[in-house]
Amino acid sequence: MHWIIGLIKKNLSFFSLLLTIVLSLLMISSPEEARLSTARTLTMSVFYPFQFTFNQVSRIKDVFAENIRLKKEVTELSVELASLKEKGIENERLRGLLNFTQDFSFDFVPVRVVARDPSLGDWTVIVNAGKSSGIELFMPLVGDRGVVGKVIKVLGNLSQVQLIKDPASRTSVLCRRTRTISILGTENGSDFFVQCRKHEDIIVGDTIVTSGLGGIFPRGLTVGVVDKIAEDKNPLFKRARLKLSVDFDRLDELFILRLSPRWMSFRSEIDSLRLLK
Amino acid sequence: MIKNVIMWAVLFFMAFVLQTSFVSNAAIFSIKPDLIIIVLFLMAMKVGIIPGVFIGFIIGLGQDLYIPGVLGQNALAKTIAGFAAGLFNEKVMRVDPFLEIVLLLFTFILNDIVYSLVNVVKFGYSFSAFGMSLLTFTLPRAIYSILIAFIPIFWDYFFKPSIKR
Repeated sequence: MHWIIGLIKKNLSFFSLLLTIVLSLLMISSPEEARLSTARTLTMSVFYPFQFTFNQVSRIKDVFAENIRLKKEVTELSVELASLKEKGIENERLRGLLNFTQDFSFDFVPVRVVARDPSLGDWTVIVNAGKSSGIELFMPLVGDRGVVGKVIKVLGNLSQVQLIKDPASRTSVLCRRTRTISILGTENGSDFFVQCRKHEDIIVGDTIVTSGLGGIFPRGLTVGVVDKIAEDKNPLFKRARLKLSVDFDRLDELFILRLSPRWMSFRSEIDSLRLLK
Repeated sequence: MIKNVIMWAVLFFMAFVLQTSFVSNAAIFSIKPDLIIIVLFLMAMKVGIIPGVFIGFIIGLGQDLYIPGVLGQNALAKTIAGFAAGLFNEKVMRVDPFLEIVLLLFTFILNDIVYSLVNVVKFGYSFSAFGMSLLTFTLPRAIYSILIAFIPIFWDYFFKPSIKR
């Protein structure tokens, strides 16, 4: 026993490294969800006030430029609104003629990003609305340019949002022009693609939108634009590389759509199936 | 001793808060500096391997707890990065600022290699994506961070009389 203690004392640096590596590897290979939940709640509560203060300070410098930009946008949007109102009336009339029903209705909750993921990938953000604003799990988050992510954790006044650029986030998308359905893919969180069959007529400049199939995002939210067509590892497929419309480095004022997933009402059944498996 | 502990704790806390809030505003072509690794490196260079290993582990674990990812992934990467930086600490050898910059670059690369290897093993990411990420993400991020780290490194070297040259 003494010689073991002696050996450890003599090679303390090595054993420290070994111990921490073993602990890390044990954590990497263990299931984590339950333990993480409490820890994340604590961390988010502790860091929130500080991050909020820093965010406010950094935001001030952008206010003037933002004001000019917003005025310009208001003007542009007023013109667009007038045109869309006309189209809306026309659309309603045509829907009536075709017996189409409205497939979704929801309202927007304005939110601000108050903290970001400090890790390598920057996969999540924390926004300043939670249960008290009626936010629920899996509600979609959108910006003025398109879809941003989905809520994966809700606290009293805060929510954690998983961004669509997270490789673990599987977003069902479709090409607006050809209606080809695919999954938004990425291997590193910075290069995005959709995989489609070789014969599909997808071209550079095509707009990719959410398909509505996952049940979380409503159909038609802009995801990005195809900027390159490339070969895929599988010879039957090709890859359309995307430039996402949302700038994830400049997330600020966003909106949570108060829209629960379509499968939420039978979630318990889904969970029980998963347990059976 | 206590003063040093408090100083490093405050620095780590500030780095963590800035990393999760202010740093994204300083992104250039989506490349952001990593303040946490800079502070970990500076600390390990000052105090040695064992604190480098354990603080790296704790800081990495803190990051893992903060994000929905693989628990232990950052802990492992930061542990090894802290160990590597601690190998060259001031008690063992004299390090001039330029060598320190090279070591910081090495620490960044090591951290990202370990982090990405976990992705390769756990999620089956391809090695080509791993290599590309090193070239297109790690290197620019390390260079950007090094530009920031110039300030404390040169400040320490030229304005602290306690350091023997």
